Amino acid sequence: MTAFKTFFKILNKNKFIVIMYTVILIAFGGFNMQTSDSSINFTASKPDILVVNNDEEKGITKDLIDYIKGNSEAVNIADNEEARNDALFYREVHYIVYIPENYNEDFLNGKNVNLEIKTCDTAESSFAEMLVSRYIRTANSYREIYKDENGKISKENEEKLISKINDTLSKNTEVEITSKLDTNSLSKATFYYNFVNYSILAALVYVVSLILSSFRNKKIQRRINVSSTTYRKINRELLMANIMFSLWLWGIYVLLSFVLIGKIMFTIQGALYIINSFIFTMCAATIALLIGSIVSNKNAINGIVNVIALGSSFLCGAFVPMQWLPDTVLKIAHILPSFYYISTNEKIATLENIDVSSLKEIIPNMAVMVCFAIIFVILSNAVSRKKRRED
Amino acid sequence: MFTHNFKYTLKTLFKDRTLIFWTFAFPIILGTFFNMAFSNIENSESLNIIDIAIVENEEIKSNEIFTTVFENLSNENSEDRLFNTTYVTEEKAKELLENKDIIGYMKLEEENPKVIFNTNGIDQTIFKYVVEEITQTSEIITEMATKEISKQFVTGNFNIDYDELYDRIIKLAFEQEVELNNISNKNLSYTMIEFYTLIAMTCLYGGILGVVAINKSLANMSPQGKRVSVAPTNKIKVILSSVCASYLTQLIGIAILFVYTIFVLKVDYGNNLGLVVSLALAGCLAGLSIGTFVGTIFKTNENTKTGIIISITMLGCFLSGMMGITMKYIVDKNIPIINKLNPASMITDGFYSLYYYDTLDRYIFNLTSLLIFSAVLIIISYISIRRQKYDSI
Amino acid sequence: MNNIIEVKNLEKKYKELTAIDNLSFEVHEGEILGLLGPNGSGKSTTMNCILSLLNFSKGSIRIFGKEMKPDAYDIKAKIGVVFQDIAVFEELTVYENIDYFCGLYIRDKETRKKYVEDAIELVGLEDFKKFYPKKLSGGLLRRLNIACGIAHKPKLIFLDEPTVAVDPQSRNNILDGIKKLRDNGATIVYTTHYMEEVEILCDRVIILDKGKILATGTTDELKELAKIEEKVTLEVHNFDNENIEKIKKLTNVDEVTFNGSSLVVTYKKGKHNLIDMIDYLKKEGIQYNKIYSERPTLNDVFLELTGKELRD
Repeated sequence: MTAFKTFFKILNKNKFIVIMYTVILIAFGGFNMQTSDSSINFTASKPDILVVNNDEEKGITKDLIDYIKGNSEAVNIADNEEARNDALFYREVHYIVYIPENYNEDFLNGKNVNLEIKTCDTAESSFAEMLVSRYIRTANSYREIYKDENGKISKENEEKLISKINDTLSKNTEVEITSKLDTNSLSKATFYYNFVNYSILAALVYVVSLILSSFRNKKIQRRINVSSTTYRKINRELLMANIMFSLWLWGIYVLLSFVLIGKIMFTIQGALYIINSFIFTMCAATIALLIGSIVSNKNAINGIVNVIALGSSFLCGAFVPMQWLPDTVLKIAHILPSFYYISTNEKIATLENIDVSSLKEIIPNMAVMVCFAIIFVILSNAVSRKKRRED
Repeated sequence: MFTHNFKYTLKTLFKDRTLIFWTFAFPIILGTFFNMAFSNIENSESLNIIDIAIVENEEIKSNEIFTTVFENLSNENSEDRLFNTTYVTEEKAKELLENKDIIGYMKLEEENPKVIFNTNGIDQTIFKYVVEEITQTSEIITEMATKEISKQFVTGNFNIDYDELYDRIIKLAFEQEVELNNISNKNLSYTMIEFYTLIAMTCLYGGILGVVAINKSLANMSPQGKRVSVAPTNKIKVILSSVCASYLTQLIGIAILFVYTIFVLKVDYGNNLGLVVSLALAGCLAGLSIGTFVGTIFKTNENTKTGIIISITMLGCFLSGMMGITMKYIVDKNIPIINKLNPASMITDGFYSLYYYDTLDRYIFNLTSLLIFSAVLIIISYISIRRQKYDSI
Repeated sequence: MNNIIEVKNLEKKYKELTAIDNLSFEVHEGEILGLLGPNGSGKSTTMNCILSLLNFSKGSIRIFGKEMKPDAYDIKAKIGVVFQDIAVFEELTVYENIDYFCGLYIRDKETRKKYVEDAIELVGLEDFKKFYPKKLSGGLLRRLNIACGIAHKPKLIFLDEPTVAVDPQSRNNILDGIKKLRDNGATIVYTTHYMEEVEILCDRVIILDKGKILATGTTDELKELAKIEEKVTLEVHNFDNENIEKIKKLTNVDEVTFNGSSLVVTYKKGKHNLIDMIDYLKKEGIQYNKIYSERPTLNDVFLELTGKELRD
């Protein structure tokens, strides 16, 4: 069991790398887990809108502010223009409404004052704009009804007007949600397992290819060749060690997912995430096998693994959700095993009930990963055989 | 002597393939990944046309308001198009929803509209909202009509032109344009930050070049350094020349990255090239100063020093938003002092202020911070280098 | 005879440990001085102190009659150093490496070009000019390391164990080269723990141990320090105590030891000792495989002075 033991000795020297990527996984996985609102009733999206009021807070001004606040998420931004601009740029707020001085007065006197706004052109900003426009349109319409001969709103009509506006705007439409899925928890699980893609590739593939390549190192290879242990036996031991380490790392990541995500992992969907990640881990181990047999320079391995891990993660949607990636990128991503791993994760999140037809969507992806693994094993065998002959 | 050492330092730096990979090629590769992954994000986040269905029944056919509104909002030629609407049976609607061909559908029964969704979301909220608005506007119209008619009655006019009245009210209620003055800054593409952090990373990675160059000139760091120390040349001069060579190498790397990001990835650095270049020069200087600092202060081998630089760089870039743009905002907003001391953030924020702001105060603040940061580290390094003899080698 | 280096009362302490203890010696012009001692005896430390790389607690160092300081560039210009560690750039070719280090001394390009070629010729690397260090064998790398240190034709050369882990061919080449340097007028300080090299090469030797000078002199002078004069070794299997007692009584014999397969007889003085021994063996009719006589080596001297072998 020399090769076996040596494998773990070298692994021990590189444990920092493994720990580092695991911490990154926890940090990013955990960071994204904070918004925990797992209701299955409809909740309207509330955009982040900031109101900057330069008018006295009364009358129509106050009502507008209340209306916006009621329909948006409260944001806390320092009271200066630079902070607001920063907030808009980084999408902390999606819409800023500036209410000018004397807005209430002017409105009541029949003047149409244009509001100033800042927007960052997201769906949320568009929605925010709809909200604001609706209020103003409703208010303008009712002003037509309640105005006097001079086009002004009298004091006694002001309150009536405002209550009428609110009355109308509070009309609700009935909503029904068909899905019984806990989408929030599922999207958390998907995010976590998608990120596992990066950690596995960066940590497992790097460390294993490093170890294997040091075994494949010409001088050591020669020493092994002249030793009493057969080449076959050493290969078998290395494979064993490789599998054990992969299983161990995979086990840790699965355990972490139970801690970080919680009860959704105990459902059938959870089981599917685990199976999928298992297949991917094995596939990653074969990638390491291949890299370890091709590349022998330590620095080169570092570079190659970094490029593979980051590339697979960026192009296949481990960091940026798949639906946000351009189509051409997704097409290119088809050549990467990660693509099949991550699309399976995405599919699992939407599976309403698990039956034959839904499994049909998942199993082909897993089969592709297995095929990748087989190809990598064959390739790495061919390469190391060729190298041995060259010696 | 200066040029002799300069020339050979350049040669050794460019021949070091690992070094060139991490300082030249890696940022370009990473930038390409960024571009591929982020090029569509902002489009996806803006409002796209929403696929919806309406259950076709007798009631909806006779409800002119609903059909007209959805017809207008689904008009392919309109700039304000919001929906792609199909009229289908309820079964079909359910099927479409299941297959995610639509985000939801509406059913009108007994004047009561109902919307059915699969999940929550902004698109769903907008759909629900539009349906609500139609109901609300109907109410306004009724109110207005009643009011108008009673007004006419009061004035003794019983001969009301209902068609004219209806048109006028509809116009007021539906076609009333609400004007809003958009005063936001034009450059709002926040994925630019990713590329700015990339520049920051490259600048700071340049520190590795500094470490390598310095290590080769110090007797207590490398055997080559011992040779330099016993030679009849001023050590400070040799180091200065080596550091200049690494700075030049760094600048070449950053120039390539700029060319690539500007012309291939179409990254926008604002309009003032002179200011962009100044910031890049200062950024590289900051990277170099970290390199000289780590190179002279820490007494370990080159690999460990390189590791230190990489860790500092990655931490700095993480805090300035490389792994998630919001991180920079969170830090800036809550613990600003961290990013005021973080060179990666100074560089990122400098580019951001050039891109986003019209005024230069913030840019100048960042540029000055970088220069002060570099100066402090270089002075500390200088004091340490000046020592000519060592207690142990 | 001029003194090129004068070291007086040199002392260097690392915290508790005294690495160099009150060292004083001179190096004469045109000689090869060997600094001999086991690993950790303070050879390299002494050298680094002389070169002003290390701080030292006490003492003075003068080279070419002037005090040595880190910025004594006129002195440094005339010194060449070959360190124990290979100090070359992986990224530069053989030629470029020599040219780089030589360029720290020689500014004129034409002169430098000639000097670099001379150095390459001296160490015999003509066929490897365009090679990168990675492609060179251990011996060739050592030669390159030497060429880098001496290309500027210094008057005083320090060589710190230049032959560690080197094949015999390269070793001979290196030793020849050093002799050539001396013949061209350089003064050489040669640090090593190989006493054979010292015997072949050095005009004078300083034996160091634990930072102290144990002995100074030419090799012959040093050998006189050893109490023994000659050592006769006899490979023989059966040898009884009676015979040993008899040998002990032979003329000049100092000590007799037998370990079961070889008999070692040491003599304090005298001539014809070997012949006497052979005569004795014939007379007694003792069968033996081999018999040979050795003169004492520096190792014996070292053994005599410290009670331990030079190479542990």
